[in-house]
Amino acid sequence: MSESNGYAVRTAGVWKIFQQEAEEVQAVRDVSLTIGRGEFTALAGPSGSGKTTLLNLIGGLTRPTRGEIWVAGSELGALSNRELAQLRLEQVGFVFQAYNLLPVLTALENAEFPMLLQGVPAAERSERIRELFDRTGMTGLEDRRPGKLSGGQQQRVAVVRAVASQPALVLADEPTANLDSHASEALLDMMAELNRELGVTFVFATHDGHVMERSRRLVRMVDGAIDSDETRS
Amino acid sequence: MKARPSMHLGVILMLALRNLRRNLRRTILTATAFIIGGALLTFAQAFGDGTHEQWIDSGVRTGSGHVAVEVPGFRVSRKIEDRLPGGTLRLVRTAVDSSAAADRVTDVFYRLTINGLATSASGARPAQVLGVDPTIEASLSPLDEQVVEGRYLKKDDRLAAYVGAGLVDALDLRLGSRLVVMAQDAHKEVAGQLVRVVGIFRSGIPGLDDSVIHVPIATAGEWLGTGSDVTNIGVMVDDSRAVPGLLRHLRRELGEPIGKGEAAVMGWREAMPSLHAAVLVDEWGAYLMLGILFVIVGFSIINTVLMSVLHRHREFGVLQALGLTPRQTGSVVLVEGLLQTVVCAILGVGVGLGLVAALSGGIDISEIAGGMEDMQVTGVAIDPVIVPMVTPVRVLYILGFMMLVGVVSSVYPAMRAATIDVTESMKFER
Repeated sequence: MSESNGYAVRTAGVWKIFQQEAEEVQAVRDVSLTIGRGEFTALAGPSGSGKTTLLNLIGGLTRPTRGEIWVAGSELGALSNRELAQLRLEQVGFVFQAYNLLPVLTALENAEFPMLLQGVPAAERSERIRELFDRTGMTGLEDRRPGKLSGGQQQRVAVVRAVASQPALVLADEPTANLDSHASEALLDMMAELNRELGVTFVFATHDGHVMERSRRLVRMVDGAIDSDETRS
Repeated sequence: MKARPSMHLGVILMLALRNLRRNLRRTILTATAFIIGGALLTFAQAFGDGTHEQWIDSGVRTGSGHVAVEVPGFRVSRKIEDRLPGGTLRLVRTAVDSSAAADRVTDVFYRLTINGLATSASGARPAQVLGVDPTIEASLSPLDEQVVEGRYLKKDDRLAAYVGAGLVDALDLRLGSRLVVMAQDAHKEVAGQLVRVVGIFRSGIPGLDDSVIHVPIATAGEWLGTGSDVTNIGVMVDDSRAVPGLLRHLRRELGEPIGKGEAAVMGWREAMPSLHAAVLVDEWGAYLMLGILFVIVGFSIINTVLMSVLHRHREFGVLQALGLTPRQTGSVVLVEGLLQTVVCAILGVGVGLGLVAALSGGIDISEIAGGMEDMQVTGVAIDPVIVPMVTPVRVLYILGFMMLVGVVSSVYPAMRAATIDVTESMKFER
């Protein structure tokens, strides 16, 4: 099951086919892709091109119809639901377009939630969150619940939540789609800095030109398949 | 770092508590339904148990006692020769005193019950003549309180009779009138006894008012040549739940006459089967009504919890994306339901017990029944003042039942939460 650990993600001949009434929809078609550790990669393409589905497949939120996916050395198809949940907990961080913070928890509680599940001691949790909130300009907003935070602030909490548990991989689905250009820029700066300083691998699904410009690798998808794969210096 | 399952449990508990606290309106709505249901259940059960205890108490006072000692077959034959052997009363008294339930026994009474004829100048009517100890009977039977004219029998009365109002009317008697009671005596001869009406009672139950005559047991013994023999011995206890223990003890102590077929020891259920059946029917009727009530409460809980689950798909999707398994996600909903159930069940029962305590003086149901004071169940006159009764076992049953309803009501919403499509639940909606 375990392959080389030189990459964060590897997919081989991955297909995802949905049945919509009588029609078969090929959301992802024969995608083979390797993303190295510490990469800052964007999956780009128009709506319906399959980038979100590919992100969900990589994150183990849904299973492929065909093909294999390795994340941090584990082939997802061989894992049970419990093992998949454990892999998400330990290896993957998610950032969603709709922020998806837990509404009954404060910003601080949301950010430290994966660490609570991991059993990270309180002192260490507090230390990591304090540092990340400081970096992201969220200090002072720890006790606010999501409803009392702006979209940009919520997304920053979501990013802190995704990276605080020190995953091998952060999957971000349209993270800037609901933010104005200023907030969007600040968020990208923050993620680039976390990528550079902590070595966290980021994979974005986006159709935001600005995110594509800031990415060091751009994988374009059309109709569920990879159309181009371009690495920049 | 591997997370320990117990930590997940802690997080699930924390999430459940937060959800309950921070969705206060929803929590209060569900809790209110459950608490009211629990309080109603507790009070209704206490009222039902109190009613049945009242029925039993009234029944055993008028009838056979909580435990009856008679000759086998007397209940059917009603013959004077089916008397208890001399010394049985003494045996019963000794057995009762040595019983583990001695402190629960309140009285031992005895009667000579004869089916005969009452005659006056105006005619004759069948009558049930009860030779009684006036002092004991006055302290036990409700009939002495139902006097409409005259008085009940006194200790030194001899040729006195306390007669039902229906029989008085039928024989055209009045207070002070004389009548003759006739029955077969110990020598199988027909014997008559002249007595004078000293009191007239009206219980409201035709079966009693039209046929029952109380006379002093000494007078009955002389009249029928039975001496101090009796046909019935009754033992009264302060709580009908003490009956099974007492029954076992008396059967053991009266082993000899029982073995010879000279005596039988019966509980009130056996001695008064129609009253027992009425209690059972009423009990099951109450269970049915309360069952329906709790099905409604259960569905209202399912509805509230399910609605909240349907609104929380995104939250459950996030929990799974962050590392909870589907089962653990369902556990969040289940734990919320369980927490709420435990607290509400205790509060509901508490409120119900408070209501019972507040009405411990009794509830006069004759007012509810439109001023109807003569109430009866299977021919037994019932005191219309019901005192609600609670026992620890009943409280445990109610708590257990409420927990069951709460758990069952939470399982389906929890299953729904565990089986969501994670990717669908987190889709961004414009």
